[in-house]
Amino acid sequence: MSNEETRARCEALTQAGDPCKNYALVDSVYCQVHAKMAVEQVGLAGDLAQREGGSVRDLPQQEEGSVGDLAQQGVAQREGGGVEQEGSVGDLAQQEIAQREAQATSDEQVREQLIAELDELTERVQATTPDYQPPPFSPNRFVALVEELLKKLPADVQLDVLDKFRSALRKDLLDMELVKGAWYMINHTVEYNVDVVKRRFTGEYDVDEWGLDWEFLDAVLPFFNFLYKIYWRVDASGLDNIPVQGRALLVANHSGQLPWDGMMVGTAVLTGHPAQRLVRTLYGSVVPTVPFLSAWATRLGQTLASVENGTMLLELDELVAVFPEGYKGAGKPFKDRYNLARFGRGGFVRMALDTGAPIIPVSVVGAEETNISLAKLPIGSSTSSIPYLPITLTFPWLGLLGFWPLPTKWYIDFGEPIPMETYGPDASRNLVLVSQLTDHVRNVVQDMVHERLAQRRSIFF
Amino acid sequence: MARSKTVLVTGVAGYWGTQVADRLVTETDFHVIGLDASRPEQGAQGLDFLQIDVRNPALVDLLRAEEVDAVCHLAFVDALQPNEAAFDLNVMGATKVLGACAEAGVSKVVLKSSTAVYGARPSNSAFLTEDHPLRGSRRVGTIRDMVQIEAFCNGFCRQRAEMAVTVLRFSSIVGPAAVTPMNRYLEDGWAPSLVGFDPLMQLIHEDDVVEALVHAVVNDVPGPFNVAAEDALPLNKVRGLAGKRRRAVLHPFAYWGLGLPGRRSLGIGRHLPLDPDYLRYPWVADLTKMRDELDFSPRYTAEEVLLEFAEQKRMRQHLPQSAVLAQSEERLRAIIKQRERGREWREAQAEAVAETKPDDGARSDAEAPSDISETGAGSNVEQGGEDE
Repeated sequence: MSNEETRARCEALTQAGDPCKNYALVDSVYCQVHAKMAVEQVGLAGDLAQREGGSVRDLPQQEEGSVGDLAQQGVAQREGGGVEQEGSVGDLAQQEIAQREAQATSDEQVREQLIAELDELTERVQATTPDYQPPPFSPNRFVALVEELLKKLPADVQLDVLDKFRSALRKDLLDMELVKGAWYMINHTVEYNVDVVKRRFTGEYDVDEWGLDWEFLDAVLPFFNFLYKIYWRVDASGLDNIPVQGRALLVANHSGQLPWDGMMVGTAVLTGHPAQRLVRTLYGSVVPTVPFLSAWATRLGQTLASVENGTMLLELDELVAVFPEGYKGAGKPFKDRYNLARFGRGGFVRMALDTGAPIIPVSVVGAEETNISLAKLPIGSSTSSIPYLPITLTFPWLGLLGFWPLPTKWYIDFGEPIPMETYGPDASRNLVLVSQLTDHVRNVVQDMVHERLAQRRSIFF
Repeated sequence: MARSKTVLVTGVAGYWGTQVADRLVTETDFHVIGLDASRPEQGAQGLDFLQIDVRNPALVDLLRAEEVDAVCHLAFVDALQPNEAAFDLNVMGATKVLGACAEAGVSKVVLKSSTAVYGARPSNSAFLTEDHPLRGSRRVGTIRDMVQIEAFCNGFCRQRAEMAVTVLRFSSIVGPAAVTPMNRYLEDGWAPSLVGFDPLMQLIHEDDVVEALVHAVVNDVPGPFNVAAEDALPLNKVRGLAGKRRRAVLHPFAYWGLGLPGRRSLGIGRHLPLDPDYLRYPWVADLTKMRDELDFSPRYTAEEVLLEFAEQKRMRQHLPQSAVLAQSEERLRAIIKQRERGREWREAQAEAVAETKPDDGARSDAEAPSDISETGAGSNVEQGGEDE
């Protein structure tokens, strides 16, 4: 007992922020757990340190938690609204801050370091736009700007930031020079945002040859992320079956009356895959006739489902997604849910055979229940360009609002790639082979759907 | 070459005929005969002008007597509404010229067409190749006539395989001087886009059109070719760069407007120089054949075309009438700039040809744009300096 009390405790903080209660190792000031972490920390890339913010805070001797947090959050927040280019500047700054914090020992030193680092950051930002002069500083305008920028964050985070900001002021950590540095960066962000709007109007933005507009994609991604993470709580598995680069053809089942499943497959790969690849989804010929949907689909890099388009995209080593069931799949009534319809005429197999792109089967479970179709309205394909109009629990009773999907729980599974290179160059002309492969892929997707359905306990959870 | 080649250009009183004839007379070894029903305002030096309508039945005798080697058929009137007079000149004129050429043993015919002949359809692929079926709009006279000419030409070429017919299908032509549907669309403040539709558009500069036609006359490249600047831009971006106001209507109204009985007196047709389909669906042509077989690369990128157009438009709109002198000075500068561009580009082309390397086509592609940007920047600096 007495022996143990004389042993020093570990000096590190736990994830919860309390002092670590383990005893320190003989030759170190840390316990077994934290000594290992401290060693890892040195080797870790800054990017990782930033993502796993918890482990940074676990670093030993980091007494000035609030100061560090303020610096990190402040930087992250100011840079958050800015360009990617600035984002990387922010990453760098965070890395350095994290490293130097570990060595700081007193308030005074931290303060000086903070000022020096902010000056450095200001210089770097200034180097990117040498001509920019911020408007003169005034406390009122500064607070107004802070308020404006904080609006984007949830209320609790806002309070947290403001609290830290206030306490930092009380500690006299912010002298005028530092505030001016912050002022400069905030102004830069605002100028940038204004500039984006202006450039959209005067046409000074870039699209690729298929019409993909990254600025537009960045702007709408938060909405897709909301649907993906919060609304449908999508559970994606098997993302590592998608190659990091090179061509591949995703073949998925279609359901849910509206093409939400295509958007979610795209979001899954864009946010979940290590290479964050963009999926080029091929859409049906009704999309170009619908206002807004037509323009948005093109700006998001999607294109019409035709064999020429698919082949050309695969030859450019893109990741292409197809829903071979088409309208038959999306518009199927609820009683036929998860029974896959005919897989088109095998055009997708011909694309894959011609380009040697592997087919990756994808099953989407949960989309079928977003709009429960009881029957199809008799008008439709014959009288207009609309392929089908369903009668669902909410449509047409609630008008267009009736199409708002239910918040079901989704599962998206990416299966093992089916290689297509082995069939030789002229295989796409062999209609027997094409139809066999079409059926094979359909069966694989159907099996994946059944497998997931067997594991699913509830539609909503 | 024992004998200089004889080229017959029809429609030389029109804009395209004048420009092409002007360029062709500067080529050595070419004797250029110009035909038109009316006299051109200023004929090019060295142009052999004959005031004859192309529908003249004795055209075949003229072709035989002059031993014409190539015909560049540019007699064509733009008609918004399909009408009999335009049809007679455009379609019947083209069939008669083609027939006469075949009878007289003319070895080469060059026709000017448009990528609008493919038609803007929701089922169009992202890039339309030359063998895409011709399903152009039947509401616009120009496009309707072009589709008719091309359909006739296809059948005719199959029967008369010995005659090389080059059809250049140009995308929307934009430029400071020519009168084209796209020019009218961008100039007309009221010409609308459609709410929620933003198709990719291809453009080409009017000088590149002339250059491509001359290229097709000088070189032997039979077949149809799409010709456009490399980059396709969304309509919204085209509007922004051209400095045109944002004015969008719901698409049903645009179609109804075209169908109204009093559309002409209401001026609706005037504000819709392009068929609404072409503002709604994609009709981007594939340019692989232009690069590889025609071996032609436009000098202007689509963005340069629009920036130049916007500059000209601003000058016209905002300079007061009293400042005619300043305006003509600006105009002269613009002309000098254009001519400089043309000269440098031709030199670059000549150099590329001189270097008899297998990959010279690719080299000239890479060089030409950089020259253009340099001259553009240089003359801008000069202008800025003199203004002060």
